[in-house]
Amino acid sequence: MLPSIMENTTDDYRIQSFDLDTQMLLKTALKDPSSVNLEKVSDIIMDQSLKDQVFSKEAGRICYTIVQAEAKQNNGNVFRRNLLNRLQQEFKNREETRGRSLQEWVCYVSFICNIFDYLKVNNMPMVALVHPVYDCLIRLAQPDALMNEEEVDCLVLQLHRIGEQLEKVNSPRMDELFFLLRDGFLLQEGLTSMARLLLLEILEFRAGGWLLSSTAHKYYYSEIAD
Amino acid sequence: MSDWTRGRRSDSHSSKPENRKRGVDGSLRANRETGGSGRENGGHTDGSYRYSEKRHASFTTPESTGPVSRCSRPADWGSQVDDDEMRRDVHRDMQRYRRRILGAEVTQRERKTSSGSSESCDSREGENMETDEAVLLRRQKQINYGKNTLAYDRYTKEVPKHMRQPGVHPKTPNKFRKYSRRSWDQQIKLWKVKLHAWDPPTEDGQDKVLDIEELDLGDVMDIELDFPTLPDSQNASLPARSLSLEGEDCSGTPVKVQKTETTVEPDMA
Repeated sequence: MLPSIMENTTDDYRIQSFDLDTQMLLKTALKDPSSVNLEKVSDIIMDQSLKDQVFSKEAGRICYTIVQAEAKQNNGNVFRRNLLNRLQQEFKNREETRGRSLQEWVCYVSFICNIFDYLKVNNMPMVALVHPVYDCLIRLAQPDALMNEEEVDCLVLQLHRIGEQLEKVNSPRMDELFFLLRDGFLLQEGLTSMARLLLLEILEFRAGGWLLSSTAHKYYYSEIAD
Repeated sequence: MSDWTRGRRSDSHSSKPENRKRGVDGSLRANRETGGSGRENGGHTDGSYRYSEKRHASFTTPESTGPVSRCSRPADWGSQVDDDEMRRDVHRDMQRYRRRILGAEVTQRERKTSSGSSESCDSREGENMETDEAVLLRRQKQINYGKNTLAYDRYTKEVPKHMRQPGVHPKTPNKFRKYSRRSWDQQIKLWKVKLHAWDPPTEDGQDKVLDIEELDLGDVMDIELDFPTLPDSQNASLPARSLSLEGEDCSGTPVKVQKTETTVEPDMA
């Protein structure tokens, strides 16, 4: 009974894509964080996030569990500290990353937003990440980024997930972001209709108090299903 | 106030302790510049001044480096979040502490006749609570350093809370009570010294010895300063009194200071 439970919980963390040694390392980090090199663990998670789009969207959960385990075990925060500092390093290079690989850039944004979503300090968002996350999202709302469906898709997904929290901690920057999105939707030439659809949806989503009315939901999603 | 006038009197009285006192004294540093020079109008050579200057520089270093690192906002996200967390923890603790005091006050009112001394103490704490965030954070950091030790882990494991005896076992200083900076630092130091008794019996005894030596040195340094201020009620009045001192013929405080000097002198020798 127990092994199957263990399998299930590790499945949740989507670590199957790692090689076996790394999987072992991560499993140990989840159970007994002080027995592994947590700096290495944070690097592994960061590196994988930049490569693996699926993982980058869910990596917050495994990070959350390791942070909790470490705090419980010895009141430590080595993992969180290293993870955040690594995130910061990548943040500084974000424009370069974007120039090199759109996919990596989109992965980075997914990851930092996922960390923002999962890691809390006394149930409150980490203040240190608020501006960086906004910086990333506002970058995604620039005209050149709106031309790439990949980036629009990423932007919209992040706003669906953390838009409400972000607005609560800093609403002026959310306004700033949405000015860009309205302009982009209304004025920018060359946007694909898919990008426009995504933008329109997120505009409605925020206007409805970060909720989509059932009719709006029907409009946006049943059509796609057909 | 040239070096000349400042250095003059250093030797005429029991010079060393006086220099030491000012040297270590972080909170009275401004006082040293203004009132201090006035007080030291005696006469002596530059040599002793230079000597004292060297001493107090070495003594004040740990004090003056502290505030700098504390005040500047750390650049890295990891530290920012750590600080953020500590700030929120402190505020949460503050609310809990307030609630606890309130509770104590209520029970005290309910059984007015059979009032215990500890309860009346608690209610006084309510009015006398430290709420300055900067102070609380600084104190919390010091407490965290102490708790983040093997000795502390061993202590909390070996001595359960109900077994701990006041005066015998180390007790974490209460960060919400009003204390002078020096009194607080002293309490932290004594607490750490006591915690050292639970240091793990390691094979690398060298490190251990070094640690203890460091601590002892700091301790001597603080005792000499803090002894007169240890009774809490006097904390507030003492610095004020010495501030008002203009000449050395003043009566009240110097007597007390003298006492410490005599008790400390053998330690330093």
